Amino acid sequence: MTGLLVPLQSGLLPEGLNVSFKLVPAIMVTAMLLLFLAIGYVFKVADTEGMWVGGRSIGNVENGMAIGANWMSAASYLGMAALIALSGFYGLAFIVGWSAGYFILLIFMAAQMRRFGKYTAPDFVGDRFNSDGARAIAAVTTFLIGFVYAIGQARGMGLVGVYIFGDIGIPGLSGYQSMVVAMMAITVGYLTLSGMLGATKNMAVQYVILIVAFLAGLYVVGFTQGYSTVLPQIEYGALISQLGTEFSEPFVNESYYLWIATAFSLVVGTCGLPHVLVRFYTVESERTARWSTVWGLGFILLLYLSAPAFAAFGTDLYAQNIGPVYGDPGMTSAAGDVIVVLAAQLANLPTWFVGLVAAGGIAAAIATTAGLFIAGSSAIAHDIYVNIVNEDATQRQQVLVGRLSIVALGVFTTLAALDPAAPIAALVSYAFSLAGAVLFPMFFLGLWWENTNRQGALAGMTTGLLIWFTPIVNEVLPSYGLFAGAAGADGVIFPALAQWLPAIGSALVAVPVVFAVTIGVSLVTDEPPLETKRMVRQCHSPEPMGQQQTAEDVVGNDGSGGTPADD
Amino acid sequence: MSDDSTREPADEPTVEPDGGVAASGSRSHRDVDYLDREVNLLRPSTPFMRDHLRIIWTGFAAWALVVFGPVTLTAVAPGVMTTTMPVVGFPLHYFLVAIGAPVGALTLAFWYARKRDALDEEYGINHGTTADGPDGAPEGTATDGGRAE
Repeated sequence: MTGLLVPLQSGLLPEGLNVSFKLVPAIMVTAMLLLFLAIGYVFKVADTEGMWVGGRSIGNVENGMAIGANWMSAASYLGMAALIALSGFYGLAFIVGWSAGYFILLIFMAAQMRRFGKYTAPDFVGDRFNSDGARAIAAVTTFLIGFVYAIGQARGMGLVGVYIFGDIGIPGLSGYQSMVVAMMAITVGYLTLSGMLGATKNMAVQYVILIVAFLAGLYVVGFTQGYSTVLPQIEYGALISQLGTEFSEPFVNESYYLWIATAFSLVVGTCGLPHVLVRFYTVESERTARWSTVWGLGFILLLYLSAPAFAAFGTDLYAQNIGPVYGDPGMTSAAGDVIVVLAAQLANLPTWFVGLVAAGGIAAAIATTAGLFIAGSSAIAHDIYVNIVNEDATQRQQVLVGRLSIVALGVFTTLAALDPAAPIAALVSYAFSLAGAVLFPMFFLGLWWENTNRQGALAGMTTGLLIWFTPIVNEVLPSYGLFAGAAGADGVIFPALAQWLPAIGSALVAVPVVFAVTIGVSLVTDEPPLETKRMVRQCHSPEPMGQQQTAEDVVGNDGSGGTPADD
Repeated sequence: MSDDSTREPADEPTVEPDGGVAASGSRSHRDVDYLDREVNLLRPSTPFMRDHLRIIWTGFAAWALVVFGPVTLTAVAPGVMTTTMPVVGFPLHYFLVAIGAPVGALTLAFWYARKRDALDEEYGINHGTTADGPDGAPEGTATDGGRAE
């Protein structure tokens, strides 16, 4: 990634993008936000069950769309095309990692998670390992994931926002920075107003908006510029030979090791992301959990098979209209991150149409940020505040803590996004490495090996956090001015460490180590209580369960007695 | 929904009068108390889990080949893998990674969900789903599987 990290600090306004206030696109974005609020209001729910897991009543297709909208953030809509345009073959690691991971999720975890049937990811960790300590680590991790992931979203919203609203000029800030502040303020306000109200219904709508905008953009650009007719997802193949070797030559930009490390981290990260897992708690049965994963992956692929085509068209248009894409100076990562919008603009399409493509990017960013902030704030409000700090918390206090943590997340994210250290997709993949290193082994072992115990989980999660932090300190924090003094000319403290433990793919090293630590510690310490083992067994039993039942209910009714040990 | 919460360790009369007729999977399923059987990914303890894990591992192996195979081959034999394909014009490695791997994962996901539904049927498990009939059928194929009754 280091090749991409350096040039972007120079200017954060993408070259070639027409930055000015545009009335029609501005109206479209505003109308879109109002629509989301209205849907949230119409489908609002009152009880906690409805609030967090949509009454466990969502069906296949709808949940599949929600999976798609939840999943497809600015990183998919904007960042993926950017990486493919700028890093060529290496960028494909993101397509593969972000889609193929769903298969692992499907075969190993989706239905079992549904049977476990709790509300949040830290809930699973806390209840499975009978430990408030493990719950707290999971909650902090969830919060961190939300924060790191959302930096990429804020960057996307800022870059696309300047196209639509122009430089609104908050004193002391650049045009891009002003827009980050404005868009994050809108997102936080929107979330505080709507909460999780009708979130699933909203997500289905958001999916439709973003996929229509993306595909319309691709087809129209491809058709008007003579690149493609009916199937741009395949037709761009013929264009590849004209785009320069950097676009398609393997391993010229990044090594084979980094490719595998990145793809692997994204796969395990997919299986560890709290806001993804919660989608399986919302469905009506475990069979729906399975089929909705298949649907979700199908919906995701509609965009993922199209992004490389968009990248190819955008790269070619950029080369024709602005200048060489590769070499010095080449396309900046800021321009890369809006290549989808840029392609539509360079194709001389009407402003309202380019605005539609841009609005899709904002819908993608907002949908995902909403999911992340809800997961992050519920980790703080539900898992830490209520379960650990103040067990007698009133509803009022809980809601207040939840709102405050959303605002805190918003503020942190905005500050970090003012001068982001990496392109959108790279920022987001740090969050995937974290989820893969810390949460994925807990979910996987917790579900598939009943003897995984509290000590093992605590040791494993701590190890995972440490391994994740090491490359972040080594190569990411210096870009934010922390430890910058210790960093060398390439912005990295220990280059050899960065080569084998890259921040973007650290889960490749972390996951085997965390597995080994968790298993080892579990073997040398006491087995978990029978109650817990029976809960795990219930997750794998083929016996159907009631729609509102959790594994704990079923096991509890069997009356084998004993309360879970406390931490 | 069956009131499955009352299962007791197998002392129900397990010799079915209609014994010979029922599928063997279904019969062994009724004999098993799943809450008494260990869960260990590497050591399946019930017939159901053994059959299920066979599907899972098969799928996993195919997945690993489809997802990491092409890129590894490209690292090993770049010359062969980067040849341009006829008609579509893609370099081979680009096509296999950008299109082959994601579509392969989707195909495998579909295959797994079908297999798992078939397994449920073999073991006489009925999820009694109500709402996912008509809209729950990807490409019109799932309506047949898994919705016994």
